[in-house]
This record gives sequence, C-alpha cells and structure tokens, in this order.
Amino acid sequence: MYGYTGNILRVDLTNQTMTTLNTRDYAEWVGGHGIATAIFFDLMRDKTVSAFDPGNTLVLMSGLFAGTSVPAASRMEMVGIQSQSYPYEWFGRSSIGGNFPVMLKFAGFDGIVIEGAAEKPTWINIVDGNVEFKDAMGLWGLDTHETQRVIFSQVSETIRDRNRLTNRADSITQWPCVLAIGPAGENRSRIATIQHSAGPSFGQGGFGGIWGSKKLKAISVYGTGNVDVADPEMLLNVVLEFRRKYGADFDNPKISDWQEYLTSHFGGHPGKRGAIFDNQRRPHGCYGCHMNCRPKTSTGLGTGGICKKGRFYQKFELAKRGRITEISGKATLLADKLGINAYVIDIDINYLRALRDKGILGPGRKIDTDLPFDKLGEAEFIEDYLHKIAYRKGIGNLIAEGMPRAAEQWGRLEEDLATGTLEALPWGYPIHYDPRTEVYWGYASLVSSRDINSHDFNVISYWIPNLDVATGKEPFVSAEQAAEIIAEKCAPYHDPLMIDFSNDNLYSIHMARTTSWLLHYSLFWKQSCGLCDNAFADFVNPYSPDHKGLTPEGEIAFFKAVTGKDISFIDTMEIGRKIFTLNRAIWTLQGRHRDMEKFDEYVYSVPSQGVSMFAGQPPSYYMPVNENGRWAYRNIVPRHLDRNKVEEWKTLFYELEGWDIKTGWPLESTLQELGLQGVAEELQKAGKLPVGDLPSIELR
Amino acid sequence: MKKRRVVKKKSFSPGQIIPESKGYLISDPKKCTGCGSCMFACSLAHEGKLNLSLSRIQILDDPLGTFPRDIHMAVCKQCLYPQCVVVCPTGALHIDREYMNARILDQGKCIGCQKCMNACPFSPSRISFDADRKIVLKCDLCKETPYWNKKGRQVCVDICPVNAIQFSAKTPDPIGETGYTVNLRGEGWKRLGMPTD
Repeated sequence: MYGYTGNILRVDLTNQTMTTLNTRDYAEWVGGHGIATAIFFDLMRDKTVSAFDPGNTLVLMSGLFAGTSVPAASRMEMVGIQSQSYPYEWFGRSSIGGNFPVMLKFAGFDGIVIEGAAEKPTWINIVDGNVEFKDAMGLWGLDTHETQRVIFSQVSETIRDRNRLTNRADSITQWPCVLAIGPAGENRSRIATIQHSAGPSFGQGGFGGIWGSKKLKAISVYGTGNVDVADPEMLLNVVLEFRRKYGADFDNPKISDWQEYLTSHFGGHPGKRGAIFDNQRRPHGCYGCHMNCRPKTSTGLGTGGICKKGRFYQKFELAKRGRITEISGKATLLADKLGINAYVIDIDINYLRALRDKGILGPGRKIDTDLPFDKLGEAEFIEDYLHKIAYRKGIGNLIAEGMPRAAEQWGRLEEDLATGTLEALPWGYPIHYDPRTEVYWGYASLVSSRDINSHDFNVISYWIPNLDVATGKEPFVSAEQAAEIIAEKCAPYHDPLMIDFSNDNLYSIHMARTTSWLLHYSLFWKQSCGLCDNAFADFVNPYSPDHKGLTPEGEIAFFKAVTGKDISFIDTMEIGRKIFTLNRAIWTLQGRHRDMEKFDEYVYSVPSQGVSMFAGQPPSYYMPVNENGRWAYRNIVPRHLDRNKVEEWKTLFYELEGWDIKTGWPLESTLQELGLQGVAEELQKAGKLPVGDLPSIELR
Repeated sequence: MKKRRVVKKKSFSPGQIIPESKGYLISDPKKCTGCGSCMFACSLAHEGKLNLSLSRIQILDDPLGTFPRDIHMAVCKQCLYPQCVVVCPTGALHIDREYMNARILDQGKCIGCQKCMNACPFSPSRISFDADRKIVLKCDLCKETPYWNKKGRQVCVDICPVNAIQFSAKTPDPIGETGYTVNLRGEGWKRLGMPTD
C-alpha cells in the first residue's frame, strides 16, 4: 500500500493488550485525519462520553505523505473527544510535526488507536513492529525532556541488545521518537500538550490532560522499515522540480517583511522574525522538510519554538526590560518541559492583567492570587505562572482548566465576553485571527470545534498588505492580482470575491465558499495527506517568476508520484467535504445544533480596532476589497459583525455543505451522495437525520 | 534459501598503490538542519524505497541537543587508503576506475561479513548494513542509482535544502575531519540571522 505500512496499532490500556487494524480497510479516507476520524466513528459506540472518560478513544494517524520525502509533510493527526473546547467537549483534532509521524511508519505502523485507561503510569515502546507496555512509575513526575532522555537511553540499549543477539551490525544513527506528557498533562490540565523532541507538540485540544487521565506518560517509536511509493523516480524529480521553482534559496534568500513571515507559502524560510531571541544558531527541520523553520540555539533555550511558542513572552520582556534576552527563551523551554499549550499563555496573562487593572484580581482581592505582576517580563513571573498551572497551585488550578472555565468560576465570563475583555474564538479557544476582520477564520472555527488555525488565505489577505503597508511599501502583489490568483487556484469555485473583505461581502455566498474551500482543502491536503500549514496552500510565492504559488499543481504531482493515482483537484476537495461531513455527523451525535453556533457577544457589539503592526503605529487592518468592481487594499476597521447577517451566512453555508438549515445536521441526501450510508444509519437511530434537497448547482 | 557463493578474492594486496578518488562529498555540519532529506533521497535513488537504514549517508541529530554538537554528518570520505576496500575478503568493495575511482560495493559479491564496517576508521561507520539482505551499503557517489536519472550528480547534494553538502573533485585534507568539513555559510545565511563563523 503506497505511502503506508498497512497496519494500524490498536492498544487497550485497560487490559494492556494490542491488536492491529488494516489500513487498507480505511483507504477511502486517505490518511491522517480522514482515517483517524473514520476509525473513531467506527470504534466509539457512545460518542457522548466526556473527554476524561476511559471510554474516550484517541486515534493517532500519520499523514499519507509522511515518510515519503514529499517536502513539509512529516505530520500526523490525533482525534478524540477534546478537553479544551468550552462549554462542550466536542470531538476534535490536533496535529504535530517533528520526526515521530515518519518514524512510526518505519516502526511498522501508520497509526495508533488508544483505548481505555491504565491503572498505573504506563509508557509504550514500539520497535520494528514489537510493542511493549512499560511501567512508567519512574517517569511520572518528570518533565517532557527528562522523560525523553530516559527513554532514549532505555530504547537505544534495547536495540543494541537486539542487534547483538541477532548478529546485526550496530549502526544505530537515529534517535527513537518519543511523545510525552509533562506535569501539566499528568495533572489533567485542559491546556496540557503532548511534546515531541524540542518544540513540536500536540498543542490545541487539551489532549495532554487526556493522556494524563489514561496514565499514559509516553509512546516511543523506533524503526528500520520501509515506506514504498508508486514511482520513486518521478517522486524525486517532482520534489526537486517544485523545490527548485518554489522553495527558498538559502544562499540567496528573498527577504522582505512578509516573506520573512513563514506561514502558508512554500518559499518560506527561517529568519529573525521567527527567532526567539538573538541566540538562533541553526534552522532545524522535521524529517524531509525543505523549510527548516525551527530554530536551534546553543543553550537549548527556546530551541524548536516557532511562531507563538517561540515568542509568547517577548512582548512582556520587551515592555519590562526594553530588550529581548534569554528570558523569553527560558519561557519557551519551560512551557515545553512542563507540557503547557504555549498558544494560550500570553493571551491568558493579558486577561489576568486586565482583571488586575480593574481591581478584581490580586492579593486579597475577589480573585485572590499572589502572582507577581510587578515581575511580569522577568523570569520570576513566568516561572511562577507556569509552575502554578502545571502543578495546579493557587490560581493555577483554575487556569489549568482553560480560561473560559476559570472565568466562569470567577463569575466573570458573560460580562468579559460581552465587553471583549476576554476575546475568544468559538468554543472557548483563545483569540487568534479576529472573527470581526478575518471573518472566514471565525466562521470556520464556528462550524468546527476549535481555532481552525489554517492560514491558507491569511498571507494573501492579511500579512502581505499589512506588513507592506506598515513599512511603506507597495504590496508584493496587488489586490487585483491576489483576487486573480484566488480565482485561478480555488477550484471548484474560481471566485475572486472569496477574498473581498468589504462590509457588504462578509455574509455572502462568496465568504461561504472561502470557508468551505479552507475546510475541505485543509482536511484533505494538510490534515489527511499531512502537508504542513507552514507551506500550504501556496497561493503566492516569492520565488516563482509570476509570483504564483504551486497550489494545486504541486499537491497533485506529489499525490501521483506517491500513490500512482490520477486524481483531480476537484475530487480531492470533494473528499475533503466528505471528511468534514463525517466530523459534522459526530458533532451532531454529540448534540450540536445550529442554535449553538454563535460568536461571543463582543464580536457583535464591540468594534475591532485592528492591530499595531509595529510599536508606535496606530492600529489598522488592511485587507483586499472590491469597490464597485475595482480591487484595492483598504483599512477595514473599526468593524464588528451583524448578528442577524451572521445567521443569514450560516444558512448559506449550511446549504453549500448540504446540511439542514434549521438544525445544521447533514441531510440524508448529502450522506447518500458522499457514500456515507453507515453514518446515515447511526444518525437515523439518534433521530437526527433530516431529509431535504441537495443545494443547487449554482450555489455550489 | 540459496546459499551465497563465497568468492575469496581481494581487490588489493599489501603494498599495492591505490588510486585516489576523483570525487568527494564535503559538508558543513553547522549548516545542516537535520531534516534528513539526504537520507530519504539516498535510499529512494538507490533502493526505490524510503528507509533511513538503507541510506549511505547518515545524519545524527540529537533532538534535545544544542548547537553545534547536536548534529553530526556521517558522510563517506572515499578515503585515500580505503581500509574497507583493503579488508574486504571477496573483492566486493573495490575501486571503480571508470567512475571517479570511487570506492564502490559490488552487492553480488558481498557476503555480509561486516569486516569493512569494523575497518572503517570513523564513528559511526560510514558503511551501513542491510539486515534483510545481509549485505553492506556504501556511498558510491551515486553511480548505481536506478531511481535517479541525473547520472554524474549526487542526489544528497541536489536534495539538501540548504546546500550543506557539496561535491568536490579536489582531494580534501585527509587528516582528521577538517578537510571534509567546510564552511558553506555565506552572506545569505547571515541574512537569515544565522552565524557564519
């Protein structure tokens, strides 16, 4: 089976037993998220259990391209009932890079199904198809780096013993790949991560705390096996061809402000903007990646941390000390070791500081805490803060539950979500790109179950205009060119108005298509094939002569070389829709209804003021807009959304997806069209199978 | 299982002059990103499958290590006096006079004795072992690459995303590692915020 080993490991932690599933049985779901979700659907009889219930089955699945040498594709997904979302623990997903997704295949498995819960701390050792449940009592309490080092040592010794016994030469050169939780996970935090090496993590979703509830400390994989591809020669040629045309030239990089920003273009590279502090010594890559975005340092401080993880403490340090030093690197390393979701940290601190400024939080106040805010920006504050969360001490006990649940306990949630003191994306996720400005980001999160975190349209609609305008430059591509590129590349819609962010277009079928395209593309190419969000979709690219990126030609060429199959881009988008519909069916069975899908109050009533791109500049938010047929980048803030028009948008989007507009549940005809009869039967048993007509061709 | 025929014929006898290789791989471990693209490509070009253990080049990357000791590039040096060739009891390892005098393995003659692995003076050994076929694997400067159609070019050089490996026709200083370990970090590297010293 090209791209795969053919086996998925299924472990029962309760009984410490293992079996396997045949990957081929799930081939229609492509890989990664698609296969993981299909397995979850099949194995979870009761999909309404809580996140911390031993019956919550977690499925880890490597992407189709992991281990094939397709660039920027060493990624895997984990799905299950997540603990982070609020107020409901929705079925959710998280993903990770690093080397684990590839090494798992070399160890003989495409994925791992984790069922039940162990009685005592356990780790799982997988070496070339052999699986052992190991006592983790000695690891419990160790941080994620300490845990990995102990396992490196034990596994390497095991392999050397094997090689001696079997007269194999001792030529181990690769480290075992380990997923591990830290103290935050052991203490069942909803913002706990599962770490791998230095930097990569299953961050969002709160799955670290679920591993803790299952007493699963770590999984280690080591393998010397194969991954086969359909056409090795073609694969080498297309990898080199697309890298040559669209990849960064590290000896002559094209650097400008937005090009130094990594996300979602194939020509990205590391740079000062991605650095934690001035101790970056080498760029580091996941297996097979051409972009090498993770910084390595000479001290280990901040190593592996990119984007938010590398920088979450910088602004506090800058404000306090006037410069960025190793303290920000220490903060990154500490979050990594304790296993805390770095994305939420600075947002949570901002909220707590706002409560302190209002006289609500502090020593002897309503929210009584000794957090040393006078030390914010120094090592003392962040060490105290992160330790409080990881070990659930003082105020950390509630923060470990995630800020919405903490705010609810403090009686602050409703008011602070209304005023925007606490800004959140749907389902209690911390604010990322603002639903009031980058509206498709909010919509996609709203109809899913987490911060959508797919940057496909983000570079072309936000980073290019804002960084270039802020620095007084002519944008790299004009708004008109951007619209043309979107129209050309975004099959099946081919609709330039998908990136028209003018007020009149926010609730239109065009923005429904934007949201739909982002979800379907991401679910197929990124979350199931495993392409990294840092590189794909590649709409614009600094290295191609016409500035057009490799999407969709590159993805199709990689798919053909790996699998041998001819597939059209439109077909892949339809499979993405099928995977999304399966997700939607699970949420429906969990109790999702249209009435629940509402933004927090501040989105409807408090105008966004935009952001200051650089210190001292007034806030703004430039986006492409179509004004009477002419394209331009315009500052679109202040802006908030219209409550009633969002409801109209939902109706359009539900129709586009083939869902019932009253409930938001998939229509029976949609499930039949997608070949999901088994799913339809389960929904029917639950009394949640609406009947209706498919949307018109014109709409779709 | 068919018994492998053992041909006891050495390539070289003591005192015989061994011609210098006319091709070498030189590399910069401070530039290497540990992505392993070279290993994937090597395995793919030679064997038609992805398998890190079948790669003739090995990158050792301590996931929790710190610069510069975190990464070690284990690249065959095409040694002036190739002890792997000298100790080979069957002549499987030999000098290919038609291909840059590269030190090359004839897989059909390899009996898997692993003497060459032990004779290699470097650690880890620049010769790896295919446990399934019970033969060794060694860098051939991409002579036998059924799945790589750019003959005369080395796939690890072409695939490295940061140009941390280069081909050289000039014989590097054979003493220690320094002749093979070079600084390939230039102005572009500096502009990325990386050190060039």
